[in-house]
Amino acid sequence: MDATTVLAEINGNIATVGYGLAAIGPAIGVGIVVGKTIEGVARQPELAGRLQVLMWIGIAFTEALAFIGIATYFIFV
Amino acid sequence: MNDARPDNTPTSNPVLRQALVWGGIVAAALLLVSGVLGFVFAGAEGLIGALIGTAMAVVFMGITAATILIANRFASSDLFVGAFFGIVLGGWIVKFIVFIVLVVLLRDAAWLDTTVLFLSLVAGVLASLVVDVVVITKSRMPHVSDVELPPAPRED
Repeated sequence: MDATTVLAEINGNIATVGYGLAAIGPAIGVGIVVGKTIEGVARQPELAGRLQVLMWIGIAFTEALAFIGIATYFIFV
Repeated sequence: MNDARPDNTPTSNPVLRQALVWGGIVAAALLLVSGVLGFVFAGAEGLIGALIGTAMAVVFMGITAATILIANRFASSDLFVGAFFGIVLGGWIVKFIVFIVLVVLLRDAAWLDTTVLFLSLVAGVLASLVVDVVVITKSRMPHVSDVELPPAPRED
């Protein structure tokens, strides 16, 4: 067995890597959305209501990608 | 000095509640359509897959609004900001763990059609997004939460 095969060998279901990839984007996205909302509420607490709705729609769009990404496990072997 | 605390309930509550109600109505319609389509194209397995897929999409997408509504009950607490993000983000991560476990469990189930399940899940997610956007564009939110407007001028 040559060195390349030993170093680059992957066992198990490659779809598992997809879980990780599907988690990266939404994690960063929700982190930014929530972080910016905290910043906004800290600056102007009286705007909390409006900022919450914007945060909610931001999270909804971000997590939609996550749901579809993770659920591709259903159709890809 | 007035010790009564002002009502700090965020103005987002009616919008979120309306989104949940309309999400439920659209989900019922979508369940019907996807169930019929699933049954026509894949039989009983397709029907079950369509129902579970649509239900998963709508429930998991609705949990965000539900957690914000629950968290807003603590609006007058001193720990509101911490409690709010704890509840909303805690609910978010629990939701995703449950979702991944469901996907792994349902993947090998023989009693449903996974392709139909995936397609109805995507349809449910998209429908939920459409409902959210429509509700937000039609909503009217005051800018501030804790201000009472002066009474309207009287005619006399």
